[in-house]
Amino acid sequence: MNILMICTEKLPVPPVLGGAIQTYIAGILPHLRRAHRITVLGVQHETLPNEETIDGIHYVRVPGGIFDTYCDHVVQYVQAHSFDLIHIFNRPRLVLPIRQVAPHAKITLSMHNDMFQLAKINREEAEQVVRQVSAIVTISNYIGQVIRELYPEAEEKLRTIYSGVDSERFLPGSHPHMASTRKQLRQAHGIDQKTVILYAGRLSPNKGVDKLIQALPELAKRFNDLALVIVGSKWFSEEGTTDYIAYVRSLAKRLPVPVVATGFVPPNEIQNWFAAADLFVCTSQWQEPLARVHYEAMAAGLPIVTTARGGNPEVIVPNENGVVVERPEDPQDFVEKMTQILSNRTLMKKMGDNGRKLATSLYRWERVASDLLHVWQHVEQTDLSSAQAVVPVEAPIEQVVEKPMLEPIPQREKAAPNKKRKKTFVWAITT
Amino acid sequence: MFIEPWIVDETMHEFFVPDYIEQMAEDVLRHYDLSVQSRQVVTTKPDKGGAIWKLETNKGPKSLKLLHRRPTRSLFSLGAQRYLVDVQKANVPPIVQTKDGMDYVEAGGKLWFVAEWIEPLFPVTKDLEGAKQLCYALGEFHRLSKGYVPPKGAEIASRLYKWPKTYEKTISKMDWFRQLANVYKEMPASSMLLQVVDHFQAQARESFARLQQSPYNQLVELGHSEWGLVHQDYGWSNGQMGANGMWIIDLDGVAFDLPIRDLRKLISGTMADLYRWDVHWVREMIRAYNEANPIDASLYEVLMIDLSLPNEFYKNLKEVVYDPELFLNEQTMQLIETIVATDATKWPVLAEIENDWKENGNR
Repeated sequence: MNILMICTEKLPVPPVLGGAIQTYIAGILPHLRRAHRITVLGVQHETLPNEETIDGIHYVRVPGGIFDTYCDHVVQYVQAHSFDLIHIFNRPRLVLPIRQVAPHAKITLSMHNDMFQLAKINREEAEQVVRQVSAIVTISNYIGQVIRELYPEAEEKLRTIYSGVDSERFLPGSHPHMASTRKQLRQAHGIDQKTVILYAGRLSPNKGVDKLIQALPELAKRFNDLALVIVGSKWFSEEGTTDYIAYVRSLAKRLPVPVVATGFVPPNEIQNWFAAADLFVCTSQWQEPLARVHYEAMAAGLPIVTTARGGNPEVIVPNENGVVVERPEDPQDFVEKMTQILSNRTLMKKMGDNGRKLATSLYRWERVASDLLHVWQHVEQTDLSSAQAVVPVEAPIEQVVEKPMLEPIPQREKAAPNKKRKKTFVWAITT
Repeated sequence: MFIEPWIVDETMHEFFVPDYIEQMAEDVLRHYDLSVQSRQVVTTKPDKGGAIWKLETNKGPKSLKLLHRRPTRSLFSLGAQRYLVDVQKANVPPIVQTKDGMDYVEAGGKLWFVAEWIEPLFPVTKDLEGAKQLCYALGEFHRLSKGYVPPKGAEIASRLYKWPKTYEKTISKMDWFRQLANVYKEMPASSMLLQVVDHFQAQARESFARLQQSPYNQLVELGHSEWGLVHQDYGWSNGQMGANGMWIIDLDGVAFDLPIRDLRKLISGTMADLYRWDVHWVREMIRAYNEANPIDASLYEVLMIDLSLPNEFYKNLKEVVYDPELFLNEQTMQLIETIVATDATKWPVLAEIENDWKENGNR
C-alpha cells in the first residue's frame, strides 16, 4: 500500500530531540518499508530538510509547534496527495480534518497516551473519530481500556501493540561492549563499589522521584553500599528549575548515600547509565500510559521496581523481571519492595537476565512492526463502511447512526488481554 | 543568537541588560517608523530574559518590550492588547505597528513590541479609596476583555479549567513543606512550620472539597470567550490613574480564567499588607468591582471559596524548596507567626460576608 504516517506537531522524526512517539516511529520504520511505500509527515526542525528520502522512506516536514498550524499544513498535504492508508500518531483530532480531504483512504490511529480524554477532545468529535478509523492500536492495555471506557463502540477496533527497544544499544553492564563504559562511569562518579539504583525520567510530581529519595534513608540503614543515580534534565540550571526539582534537590542534599544527578543526558548516551546501574526504579505516581524506560531497563538486564499505575505493571511479571509497588504514594512501600530485591543477589541476577530475554524476544522493534503490519493488512482487506465513506463534518450526528460493519481484528496471542499476556511473558522467560 | 536569561551580580547596575540584547533592541527599532532620541531600561526580568525600555521618539514617548515568554504565548497577549484597544476602547496602551503593519518583531527567538508610553500615570492612594478605584478598574478590564478570540497561531493561555489542579497542588506542596521542615529540623523556622502546616493543609483540603461541591464546573462551561481574561499581575503598579481615568498596563501575562481570581489576589494581598482582615474593606472592594463587572451568586460563592484557601501561607512559604538552609531562618519564623495571626482574622470576616449575595439577591 501507499501509506502516510503522520507524526505529532511537537517533535521531529527522526528523533533528534528524543520523544517516545518519535523513537517508536524510528524503531519500526526500517521494518515497515519492506512491505509498503511509506511517507512520514511530521514537524519541521532546523537540523532536518523539509523533504528528503532516506532508505526508501519519504519524509515531509511542515510547520508545527501549535496543533492548529500543524493541522492546516497536514490537511493541505493530504489534499494534494493520495494514499491507501493514513496512520496517525496520537492525534485523534487530526482524523476528521483528514477524512474531509481523503474520503477514500483507510485511517488508523496509534494511541500513546490520554489524548482521547474529554479535556482533550469533545465527545461528539471523538465518537466520529472512532467511527472513521479502521483500527486503533495502543501502547498498553491501559490506554486501550481508557478509550474503551469512554467509547465502548471502539472495542472491536482496539489492539494493544507494546513498544520495543534497541537491545543492541541498551546492553547489560556485563556485556563486552559495555563493561568498560560501566566501569568508567562508576569510577568517575565515585560509586564503583556501590549498588547503584537508577532513576531515569522527567523530574515532575507525576513521575515521583521524591518518593524514592524519601525511601532511601531507611534503605541505607538496611544496606550499606547504596548509591542513587538520577538521570533527568534541569537538575542544575537555576533557570527552568521548577519548584518540584528544587524540592527534590533539597531532599537529596541530605541523603546519607551518594547521589549522582546527571542533568541532561543526550538520548544517544542514555544507555551508558543503564549499563552502569544495578537496579532500576520507576516511581510514577500518575496513571502512566507505559513508560519506555521499562523496556530500556530490561534490555540493560536490570531488575525493575515499578508502580501499579497505568500500563507500567503490564510488562512486569512479579518476581520474574521485577516487582510492583502497589502504594507508590508511600515511600515505605518502595522500601519493602526494594529490600526484597536488594537482599537477594541471586534473585537480582535472575530478574535482570529475564528482562534481557524479554527485551530480545518480545520487545524487539521487528515484532512491533510486524504487529502493526498485521493490523494494516487486516484493514486493507476490509472495505470502508458507508459511515466512514460519508464525509461527516457538517452532517448532524443523527444522520450517521449506522455502525461500522468492521469485523473485529483477530487477536493474536501476543496482543491478548492482560491475563493471557502474562502467560506469554512466562513463556518468553522460560524459553 | 537566542536570548537567554542573564545573571546580575552586585557589581552591576540593577537594570543591567547584556550588550547583545541592547544591540538587538536597536535592530528591532529599525522596523519602526520612529526616530528614537533616547532609550532607557526601566525594568528587567533577568531570570527569565525579559526587559522594558522607555523610548523618547519624534512621535512622543513609547515603551519597547522584550517579552520573555514563548513567541506563541506572547502572540496571545498581544492579540488581547490589540482587541482591548481597537474593539473595546479600553484604557490600555495602544500597540505601535512596524513599517510593515505588524504588531511585533521577532528577534532572538522572542517577540518584541512597541506601545504608547502613557503619561502621566500616578499610583492610586494606598487606602480604601485607592483599593476601590483599583477594583472598579479591574472589573471594567474584565468586562471589556470578554469576547476576545486569540489570533491564529497563538497558544491558548487559560487557567479556566485548572482550578481543581491548582488547589490540589497547593495541598500537595504542603506535604513538601512538611517534608523539608523534617529533613532540615535544626533550622530556626522548622519547628514553627511543622506546628502550623497541618492546620493550613486542612484549610486547603476544605477549600478543595468546597470547590468540588460548588458551581465552578457549571461556570467554566461558559467557556473562554464568555469569561474573558485575567491580568494575573494586577495591583497598585499595574493599575494607575491617568489623565482620563484608570489605565491598566503590563498585559503580558493575561490568560482566560474566572475573572474573580484577580480580585481574590488583590483582596488577600491587600489584607496581608494591613496585617488583618477588615470586613469593611473587603465588602467595599467587592462592591466596587461588582459595579463595573457584576458578580452573580454562583461566582460569589467561588470567590468565597478562593478566599478561604490559605493563599498567603502558600505564597510566602513556597520558596522554601529552593534553599531550605537559607530560607528556614529566624525571619521566616516571624513571617509564619504574622501569617498565622493575620489568618486568624480572616475567618470571622469570611463568615460575615458569606451570605451577602444571598440576602440581597443577585446584585
